[in-house]
Amino acid sequence: MEYNSDSYDVVVIGGGHAGCEAGLAAARLGKKTAVFIMNLDSLANMPCNPSIGGTSKGHLVKELDALGGQMAKTADTTFIQSKMLNMSKGPAVHSLRIQADRKKYHIEMKRILEEQENLDLYQAEVVQILKKDSKVVSVKTKTGAIFNTKVVVVATGTYLKGRIIIGDVSYDSGPDGIFPAKDLSQSLIDIGVELRRFKTGTPARINKRTMDFSKMEPQKGDENITPFSFENENNKEILNKVQTDCYLTYTNENTHNIIMNNIHRSPLYSGDIKGVGPRYCPSIEDKIVRFKDKERHQIFIEPLGESTSEMYIQGMSSSLPEDVQIAMYRSIQGMENVKLMRPAYAIEYDCIDSTNLELSLEYKGIDGLFFAGQVNGSSGYEEAAAQGLIAGINASRKIDNKEPLILDRSQAYIGVLIDDLVTKGTNEPYRMMTSRSEYRLMLRQDNADLRLTEIGYNIGLISRERYNYFLEKKELILKEIDRLKTTNLKPTESVNKKLKELGSSEITTTIRLNDLLKRTEITYDNIKDLDENRVSMPKSVTEQVEIQIKYEGYINLQLGQIEGFKKLENKKLSSNINYDELKGLSLEARQKLNKQKPLSVGQASRISGVSPADISVLLIYLNQNKNNIN
Amino acid sequence: MLTHTTISGISTALVNSGISIIRLSGPDSLNIISKMFSNYNRLKPNSIIYGKILSNSGEILDNVLVSYFKAPNSFTGEDVCEINCHGGKQITVEILEETIKNGASLAGPGEFSKRAFLNGKMDLSQAEAVIDLINSKSKIQSKIAVNQLQGAMHSKITELRDKLIELMAHIEVSIDYPEYDYEEVNVLEVQSLLKYELNEIKNILKSYEEGRYLKEGVNVAILGVPNVGKSSLLNNLAKYDKAIVTDIEGTTRDIIEETINIGNIILNISDTAGIRKTEDVVEKIGVEKTLKKLDEIDLVIYMINADKKVNETDIDILSKIQNKGIKIVCVINKMDRIEKSIFGANMNELENLKIKDIVKISIIDNKGIDELKNKIVETFNKNDFEINKDTFIVNSRHKESLIKAEQLLIKTVNDFDKNSSIDIISISIKQLAEYLGDIIGANVSEDVVNKIFEKFCLGK
Repeated sequence: MEYNSDSYDVVVIGGGHAGCEAGLAAARLGKKTAVFIMNLDSLANMPCNPSIGGTSKGHLVKELDALGGQMAKTADTTFIQSKMLNMSKGPAVHSLRIQADRKKYHIEMKRILEEQENLDLYQAEVVQILKKDSKVVSVKTKTGAIFNTKVVVVATGTYLKGRIIIGDVSYDSGPDGIFPAKDLSQSLIDIGVELRRFKTGTPARINKRTMDFSKMEPQKGDENITPFSFENENNKEILNKVQTDCYLTYTNENTHNIIMNNIHRSPLYSGDIKGVGPRYCPSIEDKIVRFKDKERHQIFIEPLGESTSEMYIQGMSSSLPEDVQIAMYRSIQGMENVKLMRPAYAIEYDCIDSTNLELSLEYKGIDGLFFAGQVNGSSGYEEAAAQGLIAGINASRKIDNKEPLILDRSQAYIGVLIDDLVTKGTNEPYRMMTSRSEYRLMLRQDNADLRLTEIGYNIGLISRERYNYFLEKKELILKEIDRLKTTNLKPTESVNKKLKELGSSEITTTIRLNDLLKRTEITYDNIKDLDENRVSMPKSVTEQVEIQIKYEGYINLQLGQIEGFKKLENKKLSSNINYDELKGLSLEARQKLNKQKPLSVGQASRISGVSPADISVLLIYLNQNKNNIN
Repeated sequence: MLTHTTISGISTALVNSGISIIRLSGPDSLNIISKMFSNYNRLKPNSIIYGKILSNSGEILDNVLVSYFKAPNSFTGEDVCEINCHGGKQITVEILEETIKNGASLAGPGEFSKRAFLNGKMDLSQAEAVIDLINSKSKIQSKIAVNQLQGAMHSKITELRDKLIELMAHIEVSIDYPEYDYEEVNVLEVQSLLKYELNEIKNILKSYEEGRYLKEGVNVAILGVPNVGKSSLLNNLAKYDKAIVTDIEGTTRDIIEETINIGNIILNISDTAGIRKTEDVVEKIGVEKTLKKLDEIDLVIYMINADKKVNETDIDILSKIQNKGIKIVCVINKMDRIEKSIFGANMNELENLKIKDIVKISIIDNKGIDELKNKIVETFNKNDFEINKDTFIVNSRHKESLIKAEQLLIKTVNDFDKNSSIDIISISIKQLAEYLGDIIGANVSEDVVNKIFEKFCLGK
């Protein structure tokens, strides 16, 4: 029986990391919002790694926080280990990663959504999205409830026609034993959405009690904890948290033999799995087949939380049959008697071709239909959350008739992520990596607040109080850099003695402090004694001062690159151009440009199949058009 | 699509040869031919017809072959007609003028190729090489252009860029997967690679400087006090080689005043110093400014009167040209009017300046001109004009990217020390790969990601 239920401004389908952010953003921007989820006990679940952040993903979380998202704050309150990666390298690639208490994260996130004003949570399967003309108008649940809505955000993750494969066994299922969404795919096709099929996988969970950690190397968290949220910079409770260890062990020849002897039983090699899997998380059998020469592979053992004995075996995802899995895990040092609690599996699911989206994440040609997260062909909680936030913001802005928020590649990793998905597209689940960013010295995790707080404030997700705090910080940084640039250091005996102690060369003429700070062996802290007028300042300020001075040359190089990038970005292409009429374009470029209708020559240049020669044609065309108008 | 004009140009070298070709391209080509060709009614696509070219007044200009290619099956992708006439310069130019009188516009440099490119008949790098081929003015030049078309430079740049991308992939792996047990990038290896790249790029750029003489010719300025005979010398040297095309009204005159062939060498006699316009350049604009204008000049022909004493301005300017490292050939003109005492003194002055290349001429008597030509050839090294298989001639767009790469490499190698953090260096490496990628047209970050997954085993 169908019946009419409530009306909403924004309906979010899915309560994973994308859905939670989308729902919270919309509700916080004053929109009446509903979030639908297959099972409320799986809200903000982590069906794979119990961890958040890591290289470039940590950047996404920090950016999300600066814009007013939730993930960073919940990660801060629920982590059991925190680590800044890449500390031996430059500041651009320092990346924060936490091990989360998976259940606690879920409980905390669920509480936040439950308590959020304007937001209603429903455990219900949406089976149909209805549109009138080309605009979405309502959604229908399996139990027949119809909810009218202005905008829909689809954040279905890996649930659409989810199918789990373990060796020669396969069955319809979402992740972690939750029901899959079987009907919504057809409804999406009916309203004109193109679907494709991707595949991903996850390793086994095992019981801690059956492990011998004495044969493994413990992996500890940082002594000085850096929180994800800029709001928690001084939060003592978070900074002083007691942390849990992870462990490192390795595969060996025996493991590899077990896998090779059973490789014919892998659905990946028998052709049973048709979805496209990601290269960056290959299954263990994939790794051993592709990299025969490698004698051993690293395996990280990560706890799922403080209230459970379950642990995650990072590095050993697999779709081999269960009996092979058991033999393979038990061949590893320290895991000889291991008991599997959940087997490793591969999962196939329906997703969309992200090049059918606008940069706002709205589907081309369907008014009010937004997509976010893994359904867009991405992978990872952080990538999902970032898209969810942007989709939530843009859904609200659409209702308010405001321009969508589009971050460009020089502003944020979030901009790189969405531009990559929408402009370049992806043929495998897309993972964020620092190497995907052209301007990573500018897009550091430490300056995400400087880059984005203003935007978050203007959108309405950053409080006035936090914004004022941010302005103060910004002012302090500028003033301190200015002071160092105008403070002279004379070559006295005591100065040179101190420099010698620091392993630095002596000075013979007067030198400005900022120039001294450019030396690799000099830090802001270790020349404290030489800097008489220094006032004590928060570490978050002095860190910025130090980075901005030390890397000034390279920062300027990147600023130059960004300027060049903006030039092409600012050459706008009208959506009315019929590229078939531009004869100089290659056939492939014509088709791609007509399909994608890029907003600028810069965006066009990133579409695969559009060559530099094609770009020259576009530039000549724009020039001639300009002349004609003149 | 982009233009509806019909252009016309001489598509063979403008020299006295057996046959010259005047090419028309554009929608009006056939119509224009019909106004000036006796057998126009027999022209069909892909045919060659014999007939007469008639002037407006009905006078027969030449017996010719005319071919017709219908769009899009032509070099430019537009309607194209080609007139094969007898190769005299006079005739060729007259027929060209006739096409213009009948409604064609004079083709700009490389415009046929540009149209071919815009109509999808060739890609950018091919177009550039063809443009060079068209612009090449001597036999050696066309050989180089062909070489480039075949990609000698392309494969060298690709090799250099591939090495950078491989290194980047290695760096990126250690950044994106910090906990995996791959060997960290060896700083010393990075440094030696950067030095290798720098060296190779320097070589390519050097070959540009060498190749430039072949491809673009030697840039020459004629200087000297007023009335020393600069214009006369120019006219004498240029006797048969005046660039007639540029005399047609409405065409843009190049900065090159005259192009003269001496043996295999092309001399671009430049108007930088305004020889034609003002007889007394040096006095009018001053020594410093004159020198500044000489930046692009490879050779100065400095003229002195045989019957007048070398003055202070002469000496000042000569020594400054020498300091700039520009080659000088000193010409003593008006030997017909020689007065021995002054001549000896002048020779002493030049000797003091250590100027060795001195030629005595008399333009009025047409004496010493051949000697001067020989002397000009002698001032250049023989190998400045030889090509071998390693010569990578680059065009100015390539050169610009290469110079940027060179400067960045120098800076990066200098900045490098044992404490350098590899991800900071990677900013330079990425930029370098981009500069090189600009030359061959490729996108960096995609390649790096692909390389990473090809070479390294990663994942959960």
